[in-house]
Amino acid sequence: MLRTLALMLALALVAAAIGVCAGSSGWGLATPEILWKIRVPRVLAGFGAGAALALSGALMQLLTRNPLADPYVLGLSGGASVGALLVLWIGSLGGAMLLPEWGVALGAGAGALAAASALFLLSWHMLGRLGVTATQESSVALLLIGVMIGTACSAFVSMLLVLASDLQLRGMVFWLLGDLNGATQWGVAWLAWLLALALVWPTARQLDWLARGDAWAATLGVPVARRRRIALAAAALATGAAVATAGAIGFVGLVVPHALRLLGARPAALLLPASALGGGAFVVLADAAARTVVAPVQLPVGVIAAAVGVPSFLALLLQGGYRRAQ
Amino acid sequence: MNAMRPGAGASTTRASPSSPGVDGRANAEASYGVESGATVLLETRALRLRAGALPAGRVLFEGLTIEVHAQERWVVLGPNGAGKSSLLAALAGVFESASGHVSVDGRPLSAWAPHALADRRAWCPQFWSDPFPASVLETVQLARHRRHGWRMPSDEPDEQVLAVVERLELAALAEADVRTLSGGERQRVAIATALLQDTPLLLLDEPASHLDLGHQHLLLDVLHQHAGMGGAVIASLHDLNLAWDLASHVVLLDGRGHASAGPRDAIMTPSRLGAAFGVGIEQVAVGSRQRFWSGRQR
Repeated sequence: MLRTLALMLALALVAAAIGVCAGSSGWGLATPEILWKIRVPRVLAGFGAGAALALSGALMQLLTRNPLADPYVLGLSGGASVGALLVLWIGSLGGAMLLPEWGVALGAGAGALAAASALFLLSWHMLGRLGVTATQESSVALLLIGVMIGTACSAFVSMLLVLASDLQLRGMVFWLLGDLNGATQWGVAWLAWLLALALVWPTARQLDWLARGDAWAATLGVPVARRRRIALAAAALATGAAVATAGAIGFVGLVVPHALRLLGARPAALLLPASALGGGAFVVLADAAARTVVAPVQLPVGVIAAAVGVPSFLALLLQGGYRRAQ
Repeated sequence: MNAMRPGAGASTTRASPSSPGVDGRANAEASYGVESGATVLLETRALRLRAGALPAGRVLFEGLTIEVHAQERWVVLGPNGAGKSSLLAALAGVFESASGHVSVDGRPLSAWAPHALADRRAWCPQFWSDPFPASVLETVQLARHRRHGWRMPSDEPDEQVLAVVERLELAALAEADVRTLSGGERQRVAIATALLQDTPLLLLDEPASHLDLGHQHLLLDVLHQHAGMGGAVIASLHDLNLAWDLASHVVLLDGRGHASAGPRDAIMTPSRLGAAFGVGIEQVAVGSRQRFWSGRQR
């Protein structure tokens, strides 16, 4: 286990080094000004967001026992999108952008918080129930509640996109795709992923048991309701912070945990920290590519993440990794 | 409501000096700190279960009073929906609409710290979810990992794990993904997981389901051995002959709210079984064993 984590840490450091050296003005170390004011904060922000998303995705998959779950099934990114787009829309009503960058992040954070509150309110009792028979009703209900919140939010987002002027539209679409351009606020994402990991890592084994059955986990002494609520809160915190930092970057939260499972990191105690490190490294690398591939134009990081991630994940999957146990 | 309904009469009579006599291994001073066969491992008094939450849930049964001693094998019989799984879950402490009294080692379930109870009884449910890839070896060791605190356990299975895997004929499948197993193979993995929780009391919900004939008898051997070492087994079964071979005691649920419990030979009579299952049942002695024959006239 320690070996795997050390490996992931090394990968993260390499990714960070590459991220720092990649620029829209060419490869290599930039002037100290650019390095410390732009590149390092951007790498940190990307890493924090990726770590938070992958951690949240791993948690949601365990919690819902659903391999298709990702950070966004909870509808939190929908809430964050509504918040961020509202700020973008209101902020530019006067004509030009009046609000600073962190205003959008603040709006996203508030939106995510609102969605998370709704989620908790609606699912609180369900999370405490034990499924003794075959039913996985609580997991399914949690997923459905998340999907409903997400659907409501995306309707609202569509409305904002229609109301927006052409000028605002570009910023909004970039934000929705996931964009690290100009992201310098990395503290929130780091705080969130570290805190979320601290909340769930010490009792990670109980999440493995919960995935096999609520009632069975309860017979092993797991406080089921509390463990699920804490895991959900950790996932919500991480997702909200990531989306506020970098927009709704897709793909990372779904695929990084699966890729790590395929590579052998299956106990939650290993999967959760490995996902955080792997997700962070993945986003940093994707962002480095996004800045350099068609420089000086900067692509949204979400586009690169999907473009590189989808084929490599499919290759891993079709290689038969899911069939072999070892 | 009270213990006087037909069928409940046998509930407090126990098989006199609980004959350990199971297949030879009965060295009672066993791994579970049980000195003699008279130790009560689990007890219920006036247990009543409802299907679903109050007030709508119908009463599955009421007035069940049993004492399960070391070395006993209790089999729960009854038609579909009579409450067999619910009873086992209630004994494990994870059934929410139960009223009455259940105690383990003389202490009420509510007075146990949940993790301490995990050292005394293992519950093997009928259904498992295997959402992610995991090998047989990883799966059978799941419950065992509770002993490792929050550290990662070593990947190397210990001797007991290997012995149980061997015993349940899973050695060839040790590295296979549990999601690729057949129904009977998955069932043996589940039984191994319960055995490796290393508890005196085993609560098994239909452990014989999906098992072929040979493995059904392997299961009986394993459970007899477990009881012989000073443990106790409570298992629900559908096959009456298998039940007769395993049981020292029987709980019979009739699906109409009645539960009767007592020594096997008092409960497993053609008339009681026939009434519970709604089919004619005949009993035939084959050598020293009773065989049950069922069916309607056609």
